[in-house]
This record gives sequence, C-alpha cells and structure tokens, in this order.
Amino acid sequence: MNRRMRVELFFLDNLIWAIIVLFFGINAFFTPSFLKYENIVNILYHSSILSMLVLGQGIVLITGNIDLSIESTLAFAPAIAMLLATKWIAAGLNPYFSIILTVLIGACVGLANGFFITRIGINSFIHTLSLLIILRGLTLYLVPFAIFKLGPVYTFLGSARMAGKIPVAVLLMFFIFFIMAVILKNTPFGRYLLATGGNPIAGFISGINTKRMVVFAFIISGSLAAVAGLLAAGRQDAVNNSMGKDMVLFTFAGAILGGCSLSGGKGTALGILGGALLLGMINNSLTLIGINVFILYATYGLLIFIAVILDRIRVKLRELVFYQENIRKLRSKANAARL
Amino acid sequence: MKAGNKSNNPLLRLERVSKLYPGTIALYNSCLELLPGEVHGVIGKNGAGKSTLVKIISGIIPPTSGLILLQGEEHRALTPMEARQHGIGIVTQEPQVIPDFSVAENLFTPAYPCNRWKSIRWSQINARAAEILRQTGIDISARAKGSDLTISEQQLLLVTKAFYVDNAQIIILDEVTASLSEKDERLLYEMISREKAKQKAIIYITHRMAEIVKVCDRVTVLRDGQTIVTEQVSRLNERELSQLITGQEFPRDSQKMPESKASAASEQREPVLLSVERLTKAGNYYDISFDLHRNEIVGLAGLRGSGRTEILKTLSGILHADTGKVILAGKARGIGSPAEALKQGIAYLPEDRDREGLIEKLSVRFNLSLSSIASLRKGLFLDKKAELSRTKGLVNLLSIETPSTEEEVHYLSGGNKQKVVVGRIISRKPKIFLLDEPTKGIDIGTKASILEMVRTKLRENAGVLITSPGLEDLIAVCDRIIVLHEGRIVNEFLKRDFDESRVYLAMQGMRP
Repeated sequence: MNRRMRVELFFLDNLIWAIIVLFFGINAFFTPSFLKYENIVNILYHSSILSMLVLGQGIVLITGNIDLSIESTLAFAPAIAMLLATKWIAAGLNPYFSIILTVLIGACVGLANGFFITRIGINSFIHTLSLLIILRGLTLYLVPFAIFKLGPVYTFLGSARMAGKIPVAVLLMFFIFFIMAVILKNTPFGRYLLATGGNPIAGFISGINTKRMVVFAFIISGSLAAVAGLLAAGRQDAVNNSMGKDMVLFTFAGAILGGCSLSGGKGTALGILGGALLLGMINNSLTLIGINVFILYATYGLLIFIAVILDRIRVKLRELVFYQENIRKLRSKANAARL
Repeated sequence: MKAGNKSNNPLLRLERVSKLYPGTIALYNSCLELLPGEVHGVIGKNGAGKSTLVKIISGIIPPTSGLILLQGEEHRALTPMEARQHGIGIVTQEPQVIPDFSVAENLFTPAYPCNRWKSIRWSQINARAAEILRQTGIDISARAKGSDLTISEQQLLLVTKAFYVDNAQIIILDEVTASLSEKDERLLYEMISREKAKQKAIIYITHRMAEIVKVCDRVTVLRDGQTIVTEQVSRLNERELSQLITGQEFPRDSQKMPESKASAASEQREPVLLSVERLTKAGNYYDISFDLHRNEIVGLAGLRGSGRTEILKTLSGILHADTGKVILAGKARGIGSPAEALKQGIAYLPEDRDREGLIEKLSVRFNLSLSSIASLRKGLFLDKKAELSRTKGLVNLLSIETPSTEEEVHYLSGGNKQKVVVGRIISRKPKIFLLDEPTKGIDIGTKASILEMVRTKLRENAGVLITSPGLEDLIAVCDRIIVLHEGRIVNEFLKRDFDESRVYLAMQGMRP
C-alpha cells in the first residue's frame, strides 16, 4: 500500500470528522455566535445524552442487532431508582447507591433483551420494539407526575460544572467513549463483538461464543441508556415520564453516520462519537439560525438525509481506491513482465 | 414436436463449445447431441465441466466459443429467457420452492392462469394441480405449503413442474436424486419413462454410475472439461465407465483386495490422537469408527450425502452425534461447540469459506488472528505488535497476496481467501486438523501450494482429516483413504493401494 492510498483511506475512514469540520466552518461563517466558547460547550453538553444512546446503539449494531428499547430504558431506569429512593423505601436510599442502581437496572433490561434474542431466538427489532412500548408504558403508569428534588449527589453528573464551566456530563461522555474505544480496538472482547456481527457463523466456527457476545452488547447498550437517563434526570433535577421520547431514531442516524452498518460488523467508538456530535451540532445551529419552529424538524431530517448520502458516497469511494490500487498493481506486473 | 416422425433429428446439439475463465479452462471443444425421446446421461468427476455445460445450455452463462443448435437454429449463446422459450427446463440440486406458497401456487408460478381481467383463477389452479399430482402419483396435497414438504418432495415437485406445467421439451435434471428419498426416486424413474415416450429429451446428470445404467439410454463422459466419449449405455459396464471417468486403467492384478484395518494399524507406529467409536447421527452417518494417528493424513472420500462433511462438523462441535464416542488422547470427550473443540486442539476448516470461514468485511489481520487472539493478550489488552508480527509471518508463510494486512478480505481472490482461513486455523497450533474441502474453488497454483502445506507443515506433530471434491487431491496427500457410502464406512485404502478407479467404485458403494 503506497502513501497516497493510505492518506486517501485515512480521509475516507474519518470522513465524519471532515464533515464536522466543514459544517463547523459554514456555521461559523454565517452565525458568528456559533464559535463562542459557551456555544461549543453548549453543543457538547446537549450532545452528551444522545451520544450515550448512539454509542449503545452502535455497539448493538456492531453485533448485527438493533436495540429500540434504549429510549424507554433512559426514562425507566432512573424512574425505578428514584421511586425506590423517594417513595417505596421509607428510609430512602444512599444517593451513591441509587446511581449504581440506575445503571444496574439498565444492565438488567439489556440482559433480558439479550436473553430473549439469543436463547429464545426472537428477532431483535421485534423484541426490543415490544420492550420499548412496555417500559414506556410502565414509566407512564408509575410516574404520572414528575419526581422532583433528586438530591445533589444524584444530579451531580447531569448538572454540575467543573472549572472553565465545563459540564461534568461532557467529561463523562469523553471518558466513556475513550473506554469503549479501548475495548473495541485493544481487547479480544472488542474483536469478538465485531466478528459476531461481521459473520456470526464464521465467528462461531472460529471459536467465539457469539450468543454471549450479543448478550454483552445489549447489557452495554442498556447500561449506557441508564447513564443517559442519569444525565437527563440530573439536568432537570427531575424524572418525568417523557424523557428520551423519540430519540431512538436519531441514534440510528448517529451510528450510521459514525460508520456503523445495519448489517453489523462495522464501527469504531471515534466514528460513533463523530456521528453523535454532528447530530448535536445540526440541532444547535438550526436553533441559533432561528429557523421557523415548524420547519425545524424537517430540516433536521433533511440534513441527516444528506449526511447519510455522503456516507454512501464514502463507501463507494473507498471501493474505488482499492480498485485503482489493483489496476496499478496489474499494470506494474505487466510492465515487469515486459522487461 | 410430433412423436416418431422426426426422431432422428437432434433436439439440441452443442458443437465444439468452450468456456474459458481467467486461469482455468472449464470446458474445451465439447460436443453433445440430444435426440428426442432419449435420456442422456452426463457423468464426470467434480470439476470435469458438467455444471458449466448445463449452465451454457440453460442460458445462465455464455460460452466463449462454439455453437448451440436448437431444433436446427444456430445460436452463439442463449439467454435464460431464450432457453425457456425453446422449451429448455432445468431442475437443480438444491430445490428452490417458495416456502409460503402452496404446492399448487409453486407449480404455476409465474405463469398463473388468469381470466380476462387478469385475476388469477384459483379454482382452476388448485384443480389442475390436484390432477397433475394424481397423475404422477405424488402423495402430497395441492394446498400444502412449500415449507411443509420434505426436501425430497420439494425436489419432486420441481421436476413435476418442469415436466407438466412448463411443458419443457428438453429437461435438465442436475443431480436431483441427491436429495430424493427411495420412494420418490422410483416416482422419478416412472415419470422419466412416461415423458420419454412423449419424445421429450432429458439430460441426466449424476455422480452415481448405477443410475446411469438404470435410467439412461446414452451417456457422455466428461473429463477435464472435454467430452471424452458418447456411448450407448447398454455397451458399457460399470468398470469401463469408471475407467472412462477417471481416465485410469485398472491394474491387471485387480483381483487382489486391499487389506484393510489390521495392516493399517500395524503400519502406524505413531500414537493415536483421535479415535472415533461407533459414532452415529441418524440420517447422516452410522457406526463410524476409525483412528487418526500423529503425523498422519487421512482422507474421507464419498459422494455428496455420504456423511463426510457431517462427520467433520461433529468432530468440530458444530453438529452433535446421537450415539458413539470420540476419544481424544485416551479420554472420551464431548465436543459441545467449536470453542470447546479448539480448546482440545481441534481446528476445523469449513467447506464454505465465504459463509462459514471468513468475515469478509474485516481485514486480513483481523481474520487471521480471530481464533488465536486470546493468546495475544498482554494483561487485559491485545499485544498489537505481536499480533502484527504473527500476521505478517502467516502472510509470508502462506504467500497470501494482499496489498497489506489491513486490506478487507472480500477484495482478495478465492485462493487467497482460502489461505487466510488456513492461516487462521494454523495460528492456533492445533493437534488435529479437520479440513473440509480445502481445495474447493481455487486455482491450480493455490491448490498445489495448499496441498503442499498440508503434506509438510500441517501434519507436523498433528493429525489431519481431509475431504476433497476431487479424488486426485486425496490421493496426492493422504496416507490412508476411508471411503464412505450413504453414511457408512465401506472401505479403506492404504497409500500403496491407492488407485483412482477403485476408490471411485468404492464411493459408489460397489466392490472394487
């Protein structure tokens, strides 16, 4: 592989970041306030909740499955934890424990998802669709009115700010993405996840417990959805029953933009982060421009549409790079034969 | 075509038809003549060109050169549509019925009888389907779903469709008996003899010589892409046929039967790595017993459906036997999954490398280290340097042609893909290799290098069980060949007794 090819591939494989830079530039040109430190922090802060869901969805997509239930888990996990802490248990709960409990509830939802999908053999789309509805319904029933006053410890992750006004949520987001990046790239477990989605039969034959990998992926996505729930609840110092509503479709947009494939076996944490941040930026810029509220949603969709088309072009270009490399090799072989 | 009066004009003639692929000659100057009212057998080893010939006749691929004469018209090539219009029908090895359609719907797809408003006349379809089924004697309901049929019934249904609904004049039956039950096989033979009387022509492709003798009038033998001979079946016996197919004479002293097991074991001084005792999986294989020694290469020879793949899949933990024992290093073991098999030092190279062997959208490095990655750990994390150096080592060892170790596997050629799978299983350093058709669908050069690899590197301190689509590969590398027929071990040959024609006869379930 020559240097030029390497550069081309590097560019194509990280196209999402190039799009982000481009989008950033365009926005900075038209709305100078976009560039302000506060606004950039704001974008990151507002992306942090969705990014957790996008990451979870990405991990599940990598194994070749789909998780629709994450947006309901986002509300369900903190709702149960807070109901226990404020209502069901008279003595209340240790606030640190309720944080752990929230994540555990998310993990359990994921474990249940994984169990039914791998052991009973239900299609992941259908199964998680039912859970999406069940969990939202339960949350609506159990939390008819919002639960207020969650306490400073529980809301710390969602609302506190560090020096330089950097929200803790943003730091947490980067930290979790870093951990996932290391897991996907540098551990056998990450390889097994990719192999499971890339070709489950080949993965199984080469000695991977592919079913277990799918279960783990769902546990991760459930836990991340619960973390997203923690952030959302912390931000508004309340748990209400509509948290996370309609977010799940955007998680697909973000994950696909980030290089995941609906057929599995593709995806990196860095790419997924890019996908999530691009969604956040699009949202922010549309608000800043002051676009008509009624057309905002459609415009959001249009920009995602364009980005997904760009992603298809990226895949085609990538194939072209390899094709040209092959042509070049054949030519040089032919030349060598002539000499 | 009216019966009788034109019976000497061939329905179809292929003249000097060739098909060249880059690197291989699939068919070379082949000729075939098909008379009305005859069953014409086409026989040959795997890779002899049978399927290429069939694909050319049914219009799936165009020939590189040569002429196709259909009822007097000359064609350079046919399209599938033209072939249909000329009354050519084909039934392939793998039955393809639409699972959610009824038997009647399957029969009449896509040419449904309609009324003038283009509305399908269901009552007519069901009545006609029931009538056809009654005539042919197939005992299934016209309203049963495709998915409710056994494979054998599905296959028979498609044959019926070709004969009675599509009303083809030339019908190609491509190894259809491979998936037919005994009862359905008889129904097929009856159907064939009825259709023969109607002056239709049937091209009958099979691996089983007994069938050729039973149902065919004439037979064309293919070998290495060439038509060797076309002959009246009545003038040939099975021995002569087997010689024509393999291209090898029987040795003069062919009376001498090879001594089996006793001498085989006495020749082996190496310890037994694996021994299989009375392994049975109903419907696949029965009473399989054999030993595999260290430094030994044992071939499993058999036709499709003889159970060779299933035995290897059982030993690698993908399938599970009903009864019997697998003894590894002196201890009986259950092998529950491929992961367990690998732990016990058994590596399996799957027959279908694209579907079962490779993760094509991931890199060469990823695929090569997939099975052995746990050993590349440094603490919690992967030792990437060690991984890269091992990957490069394997790429060099197997001379895998790839621009880099990061190339995605689907950009590689078939032969190089196969080398990647071989590399993956070598990297785990197993004690027992199970190689299921490692030479399938790869070019001659790669084939030679893979076989060489098996003979030198793989057998070092390990035992190898190997199957192959071609006997010549087994003869080239094996120390011993175990012959399977319909799920049972029928014979065993030692290296000094290897003889292609004899092994071929044994694979047919006949005494050599």
